[in-house]
Amino acid sequence: MSYREHLPETKGYPRTAIAINAVVALAVTALILWWAADFAVFYEELFRIQPVAEGANAGVGSDWTSGNQVAWLDFLIAITHAADVIMGVFILFMVFLHWGAFRRLAGRMRQSGETGSSAVAADGGRVTDDAAGEDATDDDSAATDGGERR
Amino acid sequence: MTQLDHGKFSKMTTTFHTLLALDVFVLFFSGYSLMFNDELWWMVNLMGGSSGVSAVHRIAGGGLIALIVFWMLMMVTTDTGRGNFREILPSKGDFDAFIQDVQFLLGNADERHPNARQFAGGTADEIPLLTYIGKGVVFIFAIELALLTISGILIWSKTGVMDLLATKTAAAAFVTFHGLLGVIMLMGVMFHIFEHGFHPALYPVEVKAFIPKSMIPEDHDDDTEGTGIEQLELSPSWNMASTVVGAMTVIGIVSVLLGSLFDEGYPVPREIAIGGGLTDILLTVGINMGVFVLLLGLVLQMYGNLLRVRWQRRLEQEDSEPATATDGGHVESDD
Repeated sequence: MSYREHLPETKGYPRTAIAINAVVALAVTALILWWAADFAVFYEELFRIQPVAEGANAGVGSDWTSGNQVAWLDFLIAITHAADVIMGVFILFMVFLHWGAFRRLAGRMRQSGETGSSAVAADGGRVTDDAAGEDATDDDSAATDGGERR
Repeated sequence: MTQLDHGKFSKMTTTFHTLLALDVFVLFFSGYSLMFNDELWWMVNLMGGSSGVSAVHRIAGGGLIALIVFWMLMMVTTDTGRGNFREILPSKGDFDAFIQDVQFLLGNADERHPNARQFAGGTADEIPLLTYIGKGVVFIFAIELALLTISGILIWSKTGVMDLLATKTAAAAFVTFHGLLGVIMLMGVMFHIFEHGFHPALYPVEVKAFIPKSMIPEDHDDDTEGTGIEQLELSPSWNMASTVVGAMTVIGIVSVLLGSLFDEGYPVPREIAIGGGLTDILLTVGINMGVFVLLLGLVLQMYGNLLRVRWQRRLEQEDSEPATATDGGHVESDD
């Protein structure tokens, strides 16, 4: 009897699609990176006309000051900081939510050292009772079968 | 092997997940050792200084572009990919699952909602392909990866951005944006590692992300009431391990969040911020803890793949020795 008889028929992805798409993906990546590398400008060709800041910041280095005051870039950074904080708080909440749920679920499981002959996993597998077996020999006060010990 | 719960991923998806995870870990280690170089100076040194780190980050970035393009093509060009698209759309069940998780934590609900259940056990038929967290991960990571890739390509050659926006500081702004954007993903991955590594029934790793669905037996015992989690034995190390890693995950998330707020990139500050003092020591410890959680994730995903190889060998062995092949479910714990 082959083990495959117990395994589900699953619809995976066709091999040819994987192969073709992998090749296309590599080609597209090469194109993108070629473009990104070509995007570079020789530094001496940069800024033949410098932006100038008006008012109090005018003068030497005013092109830097001007570039440092682009409103939409400033807004972009501010909104990303805000997104970080909102998502960070949300993710932290999810960590605590799962941590708590895991502790509750763990409380329902048989604790190590408990004896139990019905150690059958839900997937049909059997849980080996090495630890439980060893403990059982020197710990006669083990909980009754299937009992929950908290 | 009690971790062998219901299968979800196809063989292509398990392989893709592993490659994406490896690539993203390398991007995190190289990228955040640059952004948090005050705290992770040792990682910069380890990768050969700033030029070494940039090289590593660019190579891994190229890998990420290839992986993303490949995945998008697979989702669009294959029937399975198009068919799965429906599965990731949020539903009312997902919102209910979130509410029920809160109720479960408070003790007002007895079970987690099917849309939240990571361990299905006897209830495998009820649960959808993705949990509500799974759907969130798909959406958030897809948006994040797309924006990170676009901004990453833009800053691949800094002079190009400077020329385009006619200002030198534009490059600084886009680098800052790229780093700040990744923080959401960084925090999310830390949570992802805790969520899938420390579920008591599946600890230390949820193998359904590593063993393809086609290799997981589906003969569930329908007589079992509920998930049947009461019949599983809790690993003796779970309590300690989940407490330590849970704490590290929380400290890591808080630290990278604070670190990102302190990091000024644009507008480029007038004065150099000189670090030091107690807060910087705490931040250094915290960010390093976060990096440790990532490293643990890397190790756990390797372990997941190791379990897959062992399981595959076991199936092949049972296949070649028909006498010992039983119901396909006689599996011993690997730890």
